[in-house]
Amino acid sequence: MKILLVDDEQKFINMLAKRLALRGIEADTAYTGEEALKQAKNAVYDVAVLDIKMPGISGPQLKKKLFTLHPNLKFIFVTGHGAVEKSDEDGSEKDIYLSKPLDLDFLIETVQELIQTR
Amino acid sequence: MLKLFQDFLKSLWPEFYRHRTNVHLNSFYTFTNYRYLWFISISVLAATALAPICIATLIYYQLIETSVDSDLNHRTKQLTVVAKSAVTYFMEERLNALTFTVNENEYKQLTDNTRLAEILKNLKLGFGGVTDLSVLDADGNQVAYAGPFNLEGKNYKNQSWFEQSLKQMNYISEVFTGYRDVPHIIITVRSAKPDGSSFILRATLDTERLMQTLSSYKTGDYADIFLVNHEGTLQTPSIHYGAIFTPTNLIFSAGSDESEVIEIFLNGKSIISGHSSISRDLTSTPFTLMVLKEKAGMLKFWQDMSFKFNWIMGASVIVILIVITFASTFMVNKLYRADKAKAETMMQMEQSQQLASIGQLAAGVAHEINNPLAVINQTAGYMKDLFSFEDQARNDDEIVEYIDSILDAVDRCGTITRQLLGFVRQFDVKIKKVNLHKLISQVLSFHKKEAEYRRINVTVSIPDSFPELETDSSKFQQVLVNLINNAFQAVEEGNCLDIIAGQLSPDTVELVIHDTGCGIPEENLKKIHEPFYSTKKNGSGTGLGLSITYGLVKKLGGRISVQSTEGVGTSFTIHLPVKINEGRKA
Repeated sequence: MKILLVDDEQKFINMLAKRLALRGIEADTAYTGEEALKQAKNAVYDVAVLDIKMPGISGPQLKKKLFTLHPNLKFIFVTGHGAVEKSDEDGSEKDIYLSKPLDLDFLIETVQELIQTR
Repeated sequence: MLKLFQDFLKSLWPEFYRHRTNVHLNSFYTFTNYRYLWFISISVLAATALAPICIATLIYYQLIETSVDSDLNHRTKQLTVVAKSAVTYFMEERLNALTFTVNENEYKQLTDNTRLAEILKNLKLGFGGVTDLSVLDADGNQVAYAGPFNLEGKNYKNQSWFEQSLKQMNYISEVFTGYRDVPHIIITVRSAKPDGSSFILRATLDTERLMQTLSSYKTGDYADIFLVNHEGTLQTPSIHYGAIFTPTNLIFSAGSDESEVIEIFLNGKSIISGHSSISRDLTSTPFTLMVLKEKAGMLKFWQDMSFKFNWIMGASVIVILIVITFASTFMVNKLYRADKAKAETMMQMEQSQQLASIGQLAAGVAHEINNPLAVINQTAGYMKDLFSFEDQARNDDEIVEYIDSILDAVDRCGTITRQLLGFVRQFDVKIKKVNLHKLISQVLSFHKKEAEYRRINVTVSIPDSFPELETDSSKFQQVLVNLINNAFQAVEEGNCLDIIAGQLSPDTVELVIHDTGCGIPEENLKKIHEPFYSTKKNGSGTGLGLSITYGLVKKLGGRISVQSTEGVGTSFTIHLPVKINEGRKA
């Protein structure tokens, strides 16, 4: 199981990655959308955890680009704006939104659920 | 008693007259000075309504006066002409009779007293007014006489009328008393004796007959007809000037045959005066006929009419003024009420906008706090992980406890900001399905700590069958926040707060928020929904909470009522439709 963490809050995802690593989950970090795309070309991820508000490519934009690269990739959005309702704009995929500050155990639970539904 | 009187006065004055300036509301009023507006309205209306009436009245009076004047002048002139011809005829008739007598009788016959007496008798029969007849020779000696006065042998040589008589073919004298002490007029005709010398036939006319003729032309009480001579001495009695021979200032140049009408003032009265000198073809008389007509008397009819007219005018002006005053008061009062309502609405709008912008600000703040909170959270989490996963620190319980308390604090902060955001976000969400249980839990979560500290027993009872409401969730949430906040402020330690929901009918639900707090005194109960009414001291409350709540519940299509007993508790009861009426959502 491999996770891609994308957020411009560098310390936040660094810590998150380390804590996930301690729990045996491999997580790569990217601080911008471009970086994330570069990494996604070189590796295969199961789940991408994206911040919605980022300089440059925003979370939802990045999701579309990553989706074309890896159609099987699952997405979790993280936002400082509280819990956003799950939207079904695409009609097919339902996105999951989690709010900051993030509970690690809840994140791991959500990720495992996502992988199991695949 | 005094209070009753004051209440009566109050009800008499329109609402806007008692308008008190309110600093908060004032800037929202369209008009500020309603008394001035009222005054201007009445003045302008009165001016436009009364000006044409006044102008028309003035014109009417002027027309009446001109027409009455010209009518009066015309009638006076007519009377003057008619009376003049009557007097002229009177004189001429007698003069002609005398001329006829002289021509038909020889000198001898005329000097025969018996014959003269017969002629006098015939003249009296035919014309009347002839007192006596006499024949005078060229030296002024009376040759013959017939009449009641014994004047035989008198000499008139030095009398002025005799000189005049000799010079002219015929002569008419002024009225004078002469030897006999009775006012009379002398008419003479000159003729020639067979020897060629002149002689004069004289007749005396009594003025009685002339006065009768004149007075027969008097019409009405205000007319005065009389004769004056060239010196202005009265020749017949006058109502205005007095008895015969009274001197007047009415002096006219002789010979003007035309009748003239002028307006004069006599003893403070306005009088229309017509005059015309009595003249005939061959000789002129010393008389001028005067016709005086009192204008006031003639105008009496018109004055009576204009008096009535003035009454009607005055009454209508008063009615118009009353109507205008009432109408203006009514309109200005309506305007005032509309303006007041508008000002209040605008103020509420401004306040709700302020709330919304505070909400937006809170959203920004929450977002900015959440990011560092996330960093703290993960860092502290990682530190804890390090101690937990590395063996050497696993037993250092103290440090783990510290980190746990950091994580706990972050958790609490996170909960608060999340709730704040959840609350704010719903500002712009319109109608949607609302789960009452969820909403109440969300609102109560703000007070969780407070309830614990103050040992307030909060119970929420919502039946399982309670329907999901379809309503404006943000407004509904604000209503709940306001009422629950109020309840928390009213209760003291150890009191109860009950929130009970129920369905009254398929369309209506009821929500009761009951507290066992301090209660509301009865005299304050009806004021609590008024804006800016607050019992909180030192301005700690805006006095808007319940007023806004009241407005919001109305907007949601529901109604709110309150029951309270001082010292026992307060219940707010809200009735809401299950589905908000689409037309009322705005």
